[in-house]
Amino acid sequence: MQQYIIRRILLNFFVIFLVATMVFLLVRIDTSNVIDAKTGGCQGANDEALIEECRAIAEAQLGLDKPLPEQYWNYMTDLAQFDFGISFKSQNPVWGEIKERLEPTIQLGLMQIIIAVIVALPVGVISAIRQDSPVDYFLRFFSIFFLGIPVFVVAIFVILFTSSGFPIFDGPPSDTLAEWFGPKVGYVSLWENPWENMKIMLAPALIGGLATGAVIMRFLRSQMLEVLRQDYVRTAWSKGLKERVIIIRHALKNALVPVLTVIGILLGSIVSGNIVLEQIYTIPGIGNYVVFAVAQSPDFPVVQGIVIVVALGLVFINLLVDIAYGWLDPRIRYS
Amino acid sequence: MAQEQAIPISSPAPAMEIPKRPAWWKGALKFCRKKPLGAVGLGLAGLLLLLTLGTPTGEVGSPSLPDRPLGFELGESWFQRYGSEEVFYNQENRVRAYEDPSGNHWFGTDNAGRDIWARLVNGARRSMFVALWALAIATFVGTTIGVVSGYFGKWLDTSVQRVMDALQSFPPLILLILIVSVNPLTDGPNLLVIAFALGLVGIPSVQRIVRGVVLSTREQQYVEAARVIGASDLRTMRYYILPNIMASIIVVFSTGLGVAILAESALGFIAPDKLPTGTSWGVMLGDEQNAIGTAPHAVFFPAAAIAFSVLGFNLAGDALRDVLDPRLRL
Repeated sequence: MQQYIIRRILLNFFVIFLVATMVFLLVRIDTSNVIDAKTGGCQGANDEALIEECRAIAEAQLGLDKPLPEQYWNYMTDLAQFDFGISFKSQNPVWGEIKERLEPTIQLGLMQIIIAVIVALPVGVISAIRQDSPVDYFLRFFSIFFLGIPVFVVAIFVILFTSSGFPIFDGPPSDTLAEWFGPKVGYVSLWENPWENMKIMLAPALIGGLATGAVIMRFLRSQMLEVLRQDYVRTAWSKGLKERVIIIRHALKNALVPVLTVIGILLGSIVSGNIVLEQIYTIPGIGNYVVFAVAQSPDFPVVQGIVIVVALGLVFINLLVDIAYGWLDPRIRYS
Repeated sequence: MAQEQAIPISSPAPAMEIPKRPAWWKGALKFCRKKPLGAVGLGLAGLLLLLTLGTPTGEVGSPSLPDRPLGFELGESWFQRYGSEEVFYNQENRVRAYEDPSGNHWFGTDNAGRDIWARLVNGARRSMFVALWALAIATFVGTTIGVVSGYFGKWLDTSVQRVMDALQSFPPLILLILIVSVNPLTDGPNLLVIAFALGLVGIPSVQRIVRGVVLSTREQQYVEAARVIGASDLRTMRYYILPNIMASIIVVFSTGLGVAILAESALGFIAPDKLPTGTSWGVMLGDEQNAIGTAPHAVFFPAAAIAFSVLGFNLAGDALRDVLDPRLRL
């Protein structure tokens, strides 16, 4: 087990190193935009040579004039000390800027995962044990519905219907509904005012959570169907165990193991979906920040920082999933 | 040698009852009956393709002119005018912003008085253009890498897998925005660059699925037999492994189209300045987002267009997977 964990950690370090290298090269494909933004197009300089000089100064200020290997070396050594550099736009240390915005994003992601699991577990199990019944069809239709329709479209529909009502009706259906699910301005931190914070976060958490839950539910259903046909489940039935015990202790427990991996994989798409949800609900999180950072001209240190922090988060959670997997399934541990 | 060839086949093989291939429409009917949702999905996808082939008619749009009852006509070249807004942009109609849906403007007009139906038709072409190119790139590159790395295995597979891990550790939308905004290939925003970026983002997931199927196919006896009779690696991959993963590729392609349409509209929604000018469903949605209270129809129809096309490709891909390749079920 120890060897397994150590191997996974080393592999993940390598993956993070690759991500850092890729994003470093990616943002440096074309630096002219950034230099233009820094100099404001060198206005006032009408002379070709003057513009050249002005751009050269800006390039030096941004640290982009050094040869690429040197930049790469500095970048990597800074990164090893967890220093992401200074933002081009705000001139503040990038890590501080990211840290501020991590909280809402993590809160939203956690809420979504919790909602997803709470919804998907019973729905997946019911759908599997009542396979091909009307209940199963109904639940599967809903899951594919949430799977198929993009979260931001769902969000816009929800805002549309709760704030202005269905096109056939006049006005919003109810004020409380509009208050919770209508359009949002401003953001209140969870620690400041949990109630107000929930009013902002509940709608995106539900929308994103249901979309994620749909995937988990479908996967859980197919896993359950497989497990329910196993010999040991039949044995449990013939021993005369209660249905509850068989389904929860014998079947669900085993069906859940692969589902864990899917949850790990889904995190990436949760982060992506939240970029848009954060925009719609004006939540000052990482997603909002990354859009701001690449708007007009990319803010290299910020973009690099966000990509690396997000990748670190994803890799870390997947590591936890892997460890839990090895812990739950001894066959993996000993292989 | 010559004699051997001359030997006639002694007795004709007993006449075997060759089962007749059922008519295609019977197969289609069976598909509809067994997979009603899949049939709905294919219908939606087909409808989208039909819109893609057409051009909205009319200036700002009275799309429902009597001589063009459908509001669009077939035949306009794929690559022409997929972006040109001017086609149906009319100064006089500016005053008629946010008109409600009516016989004249089926889906109403938007903030600039442009006909929403006409814009949706134009946006459909663009969505499909981007999605098809992106999927062509993603499936071609992803399949090639997947087959090669799955077939040779060992260190090649391990290192390819790590690179794919790294690519997948980028949240797809961030990678997409990033590539589109540093884009060194063209001067301004360009649809092909977006398609290329989307394709790149899609490579790891295609590669993963293909590799998984190749790993199990590689151990089959007929692949071993091919090696024994001296087929080269290239030949084995091309003629023995690739045909077996075609079903998976079709499924990945159809589901991927939905994902690509979704990503393109998400990009238009959050970063409209990164897209070339022209009609895009995502941009339409983003532009009208704030008009939600005053002119809900301007938000509703673009949102519905995105939702239905993504849903359509998802349903179609899902049903195709059940029929063609049950192994892929997730």
